[in-house]
Amino acid sequence: MLETLIVMAALGVGGDRVDLDSPLVGERTTVFRASTVHLGDGRVLDDGVVFVQDGVIREVGVGLEAPAGALIVEHDGALTPGLVALHGFEGGGSELLDSTRPFLPGADASSAFNPDHPDFGRSLDCGITAVVLSPPASILCPGTTAVVKTTGGVVVRRRAQLVLGLSSAALKTNEFPTSYAGAIAALDERLREPTGAFRAAANGELPLLLKVSTRSQIQRALRFATRHRLRGALYGSSWAEDVTDEIKASGLSVVCSPSDPGDAARWARSIAGLSAAGVRLGFGLDAPGRHPHCLRFGAAVAVREGMTPAAALTALTGDAAAIAGVGGRLGRIDRGLDADLLLWSGDPMDLASELVAVYVDGEQVRGRGEEE
Amino acid sequence: MIAITITAALSFAGGAADVESAAPPSQNFVVFADSVYTSAGEVIAGGMVRVRDGKIRVVSKGEAGEDDLHVAAVTAGMIDLSGRILSRLAVEQSSEITPHVRATEAIDLFSISWDRQLRSGVTTVMINPPDQNVIGGLSAVVKTGGPRSLAARLVKADAALRGAFGSEPSSRNHPAYGRPTDFFSRRPTTRMGVEWEWRKAMYDAIAAQADEARGFPGHELLMRAMRGELPVVVQAWATQDIRTAVFLIEEMAQHVEGGINLIIDAGAEAWKEPQLLVRSGTAVILPPFDHDGRTTDGAFMAWNVAALLVEHGVPIALSSHNGQSTSARLAVQGAWARRGGLSFEDTLAAVTIAPARMVGVDDRVGSIEVGKDGDLALWNGTPFEASSRVIGVVLNGELVVDPRGDR
Repeated sequence: MLETLIVMAALGVGGDRVDLDSPLVGERTTVFRASTVHLGDGRVLDDGVVFVQDGVIREVGVGLEAPAGALIVEHDGALTPGLVALHGFEGGGSELLDSTRPFLPGADASSAFNPDHPDFGRSLDCGITAVVLSPPASILCPGTTAVVKTTGGVVVRRRAQLVLGLSSAALKTNEFPTSYAGAIAALDERLREPTGAFRAAANGELPLLLKVSTRSQIQRALRFATRHRLRGALYGSSWAEDVTDEIKASGLSVVCSPSDPGDAARWARSIAGLSAAGVRLGFGLDAPGRHPHCLRFGAAVAVREGMTPAAALTALTGDAAAIAGVGGRLGRIDRGLDADLLLWSGDPMDLASELVAVYVDGEQVRGRGEEE
Repeated sequence: MIAITITAALSFAGGAADVESAAPPSQNFVVFADSVYTSAGEVIAGGMVRVRDGKIRVVSKGEAGEDDLHVAAVTAGMIDLSGRILSRLAVEQSSEITPHVRATEAIDLFSISWDRQLRSGVTTVMINPPDQNVIGGLSAVVKTGGPRSLAARLVKADAALRGAFGSEPSSRNHPAYGRPTDFFSRRPTTRMGVEWEWRKAMYDAIAAQADEARGFPGHELLMRAMRGELPVVVQAWATQDIRTAVFLIEEMAQHVEGGINLIIDAGAEAWKEPQLLVRSGTAVILPPFDHDGRTTDGAFMAWNVAALLVEHGVPIALSSHNGQSTSARLAVQGAWARRGGLSFEDTLAAVTIAPARMVGVDDRVGSIEVGKDGDLALWNGTPFEASSRVIGVVLNGELVVDPRGDR
């Protein structure tokens, strides 16, 4: 019993918020019925039904009978989990980076979270219900990320990932570090008898987010992570296609570089190749520098290059949440998870499909006219 | 002119009883040559080398059939200890003394430099931290080709400790007038300062032996160097810098038993006081011959420096500096050395077995001997002749550059 409670707490399962075994109260329940329900893990239910009560998903299935008095949302189209954008600076601006020293493992991006900033509304317009705020990796260790919702001011998880800048952006001309070799030597030293965030990372409690760009940077990051048996994700996929097998062997996930119209074909090939190799993927966004539309657009471009639509949607939802360490609360349509849901006019990976409505914690926050 | 008329990739030499080997044809083959220069004291006229599973298996007399791979000459794959293949992002300039920083962590296996070296017959290089620091860090010996992973290419990690004397570690620094704005205000600005940093690091390392509180990153590496367990490769072009290096290691030998195993890199003016090098057991890597012998730091290197040093008994190796200052590759440096009077045998050794011995990788590379890595340079004529060049390369037993063209 105790063990179960601990596991539930660790997963962030809503047990502490909602008793999932309590009987559903019709007046407090919303029932979603959609032509297709994408569960966020690659599975799809045709004519699926989802019960939501008190902001939490209570039942998922086919042919479930709605409790009396429930609000019914009938939708001729697709229902998906809310999209999770990995790596962004929404509303943070310069507040997310303290560049006064190379190591700031204690910096916490949630301290720079301004829930009223209009950046979040723009993301919500695009179906992004949660974002990972990250200190930019333009220093060696700029701090830890935070998972926040794009409405309601909810911090889902503080200190979600420890960010390390292993690209040339973290190298300086007149202060430490000036070199990859020096940066790695310093990181190796931190992990020799680790304390604080580095200790949590070494124990596997705190996943790493390793910012990389070129192939040699990817190889260096993989050697580093493997040497210290660290888990987490690379951030930077643009050059990954030549080192796909090594990434797969490392066990690390990959946060794909954000896409822009006009990116080289290599950008999408790399992602499709990683997906085919079975590497867990999510998509970075780097809003507000990039428009939030780029998240779904990038996934669609990867699909065009051979990624399956199911894998792309999983990378935008369930796997993204898992990479950010919040897979027990966000990213999938499953009992006990937050009711962050999107209604689409058609297949969400078809760019012609429109976002019809957005629900966060069971409340409709975008769209109109769907409720009866 | 030797005609090369080859059609088949696979051939079997008489006497090599391994026909049943499961190795694919590209990893199990024979190279025939009018001359096999082994770098092990033997030249086989009308010889052959069989490689299989990455290693040299048979070295013997052998007559090529019509379909066999046959070239004018075969030597061991060449070795360049002054790799200069890494960018400045390999040297950590936030401190002038960084013995613990590894060149391997700055390696870019996707750089085009590797292929350029490989195609010119250089199969092994030592990668060194660039010389903006006084003590830059740890060098490594790697292959120039093969799978693009460090593990696959590494011949010897931490093969030498790299540093520099002369102007390079002090240039671009400036004295601190008033408050320093960055670390370039604090580093040595003169040759004296460079030497002082070296000596201080050495004595600090000795002090750290007795008092743990005085330890600093890499102090144990300096001790290993002073005990002669880790070769020290220092850049020193000019006489004054070579002298400084030798005097320093002689001073340190009075404090630590063993003594530094010193290798001078880019020792253009080593010809001026060769007896100093003999006395201290110092080896020399010569820089590429360039600009009629006018090199860096005002140092002058004559045509005959290689020959003169060998005459005095100084171990030498040639280097090409990755074509940084000249388009001439290592094979051409051999030709220049021949022009300066170096014997053929010594020239061959200076690009193969001599550098391998300097950094302790001669158990794997540097000569054509059974059991060593299958690294070969295939030539269209006598090596180091003006009209000769490397036309084929075997690396780890694979024919990576086929003299018959892309097949």
